[in-house]
Amino acid sequence: MAEVSVQNITKSFGSLKALNDVTMDFPNGGFFALLGPSGSGKTTLLRAIAGFTFMDSGTIRIGEQSVENIPVEKRDIGMMFQNYALFPNMSVADNIGFGLRVRKVGAAVERRRIGEALELVQLDHHANRKPHQLSGGQRQRVALARAIVTNPRVLLLDEPLSALDKALRVDMQFELKRIQREVGITTIFVTHDQEEALTLSDKIGILRDGRMVQAGSPREVYNNPADLFAAEFLGEANILTGISGDGAEIKTPPTTSMTGLLAVRPENITISRDEPKEGAISKCQAVLEGRVFAGAMATCFLQTNGKTLKVISRDQDIPQNITEGDVLWLSWPVEKTLLVPE
Amino acid sequence: MSGTSLARLGKLWLACILFFLYAPIVVMAFMSFNESQFYQLPFEFSLKWYEKLAGNAEIIDAATLSIGIALVTTVIATILGTAASIALFRFEFRGKRFLQVMLFPPIAIPWLITGTAMLIFFFGVGLGRGTPSVVIGHVALALPYVIVVVSARLATFDATLEEAARSMGADGWTITRCVTLPWIAPGIIAGALFAFAVSFDQFVVSYFLSEPGDSTLPVLIYTSIRKGFTPEINAISTIIIIISMAVMLCAARFSNFGGDR
Amino acid sequence: MAVSLVNRDRLRILGLLSPAYIWLTVAIFLPLSAMLYFSFLSDVPFGDTEWAYTAENYAAFFQTSTYATLLWKSIRLGFTVTAIAMLVGFPCAYVLAKVIQGRSREAMFLLVILPFWSNSLVRIFSWAIVLRGNGVLDLGLNAILPFDVEVNLMFSTSAIVIGLVHSYVPYVILTSYLALQAIDDNLIDAARSMGATKLTILWRVILPLSLPGLLAGAVLIFVPVVGSFMEPRILGGRVGTYYGTVIEDQFVAVFNWPLGAALSFILLAVVLLILAIASPVLKSAQT
Repeated sequence: MAEVSVQNITKSFGSLKALNDVTMDFPNGGFFALLGPSGSGKTTLLRAIAGFTFMDSGTIRIGEQSVENIPVEKRDIGMMFQNYALFPNMSVADNIGFGLRVRKVGAAVERRRIGEALELVQLDHHANRKPHQLSGGQRQRVALARAIVTNPRVLLLDEPLSALDKALRVDMQFELKRIQREVGITTIFVTHDQEEALTLSDKIGILRDGRMVQAGSPREVYNNPADLFAAEFLGEANILTGISGDGAEIKTPPTTSMTGLLAVRPENITISRDEPKEGAISKCQAVLEGRVFAGAMATCFLQTNGKTLKVISRDQDIPQNITEGDVLWLSWPVEKTLLVPE
Repeated sequence: MSGTSLARLGKLWLACILFFLYAPIVVMAFMSFNESQFYQLPFEFSLKWYEKLAGNAEIIDAATLSIGIALVTTVIATILGTAASIALFRFEFRGKRFLQVMLFPPIAIPWLITGTAMLIFFFGVGLGRGTPSVVIGHVALALPYVIVVVSARLATFDATLEEAARSMGADGWTITRCVTLPWIAPGIIAGALFAFAVSFDQFVVSYFLSEPGDSTLPVLIYTSIRKGFTPEINAISTIIIIISMAVMLCAARFSNFGGDR
Repeated sequence: MAVSLVNRDRLRILGLLSPAYIWLTVAIFLPLSAMLYFSFLSDVPFGDTEWAYTAENYAAFFQTSTYATLLWKSIRLGFTVTAIAMLVGFPCAYVLAKVIQGRSREAMFLLVILPFWSNSLVRIFSWAIVLRGNGVLDLGLNAILPFDVEVNLMFSTSAIVIGLVHSYVPYVILTSYLALQAIDDNLIDAARSMGATKLTILWRVILPLSLPGLLAGAVLIFVPVVGSFMEPRILGGRVGTYYGTVIEDQFVAVFNWPLGAALSFILLAVVLLILAIASPVLKSAQT
């Protein structure tokens, strides 16, 4: 187990800068997410840490060691691939034991460690199956066991859950976190699913076009996005510029001295028929355009000053008997207003 | 890096193989432009052997026959093969697997065996040697290739398109004509070119089935070679290899055999 | 209604399939049966010739050692050519599938496969031009080497092997390439992330996964080489007597068709045996 540190790394493929002066620290034992749309460079960063791609410039440290010139097979890492990359010709046990055999730990140790790893991922009874005989979730567990069985210094996960359906994915998120805590290994994972990043990680790095837009704890990046892109990528945001009219009051959070765009997340807005009277709120009037019912939650679209605002709230919190065309009040606490640097 | 030097070694190996594959063909073609009757060097450029070829009625007859047989084979094998591929693709029925397996013997059994067996059978039924027998044999050898190539193209066809057409009221033939055939057209063209190549290059079966005075080009070349080499054979061989490589290049354009996608 | 629908489908299937399969039956399967029948006759049953049923043609194979020896010689030739083609072709397929990237890969692949689809007789003839004494190989080597050598590979077993490898090596490259290409690059990355060296990856991951393709190529080479006759004839001269050439002789020179049929059928039996042994492998190569 070790901390990982990436300093000013740059990588170009031809004229395309896949990574542009990227810096991020991954302290020992933490769980980190690299988040970004496709083509943002998140996978390139992960593969750079793994050692599949060599950098044009910058340094990568694992523990105390500078690894820029060390090939993958000597880096002592564990990696899980998007489609799991289980060897189809080997049994579950042989897949897990592959790294141990390469390290020549001896047959007895090998058997014991395979057993422990299988137990950890709760697949004790599947040791002799072939990968094609396993379900998606089971394959994922084998891939995880295989990645950690050698006690690598760092665990790298490339979109580990994207091949699973939604219900299974939530289970596996929980499971992944449990195992990571139990083993205590520094873990870096790549995802394009913001919800997954927010739930799982201690720290999130948001990438866009090869640049690190923001790195910080989930709460930090959600509540204080570094720019509009970060704000919109991590969740939805209603931009408040240009809202005015009868009784509209848009207040700037008093704690900051920065200037920028004001925005508010859809789940922080309250809808009411009458004008709200509390003090520390921003408010405006808007016309209901439509309402989408989705079980416990409902989404409303409202129009004001030519722009559509989105509101997500519990269905029961929305005033009864409202219909399209009604003029309603929207309000949100001042501290929930995002100030996004332009 | 050791990785790149290993990769370089690999590429060198590939280059050696390509040299091994093409060098003799190039040498042979080269010699067809050499003046000397006995392949003597130094090289003296001459078109004499091609001129002689143009005046050789026997070779021209054989070439005409070969091309004719290949064209007839192509038409028959392509039509029959495409029909069979569509049936194998569209319908589920008992014995389908068996029918697919039946395509392998013509490819897998050495032509020596198939050729001699055909000779015996065609004599037995009174057809004997001759061009009709050759055509029957060539079509049989080309059919599996056409079915395999067209089926490969069909496998990329979205069957729900047929269902969509049907839901809009189209009948079987309309669906085939307006939906299925346009999609598999490249496969059919590739299959046809394969059929042409199989027939045009076929030696063994033609050898056993063609009549002595009326032989195809490869058979004529074989009998000439056994009498002794002349640069004239080089000349006609060069022409043949250019034609068959051109045909295959076209086939490769229409089918993505070996391609990535 | 349902019944008539099923019937209509059946008619369609019959209409589309029967022409092709009747053709295959008439041109391939009936002839093979006829050959079996023929191999048990004493003489050709055409015209006024006297003939009877006999097992003598098969007895001939076992009575003298000539045919068995030649068959064994042909099988040995098959093994030699197959082994060389595998050793030469597999690395080549690997380079094509895993080292070369992008557009040039397709072009290279096409270049390797192209000769395979050109006339095999012509290609064998081209080797005759290269290998003959006083030929290009001879002159080329003498131009490079400081001392005089006389290379005359023509009319030797080596010439036959070179010609056959040239004819069939694209087969093993094709099948190995397809198998290698199907191997997910992530598997190789995964093995590396676990610390495996190149040799370990080759031995434990790549070779096991591409074995079906490699073996399929081997079978596809072995079978026609055992039945080859044109290549030994042209490149082997006097040493070029093989099982295939003996069969050829029965049909075009000696005109002992029943014996030829019996010899052909024995060859077919050997071929089918090999295909049967290899069929599990071939099946897994298909998927």
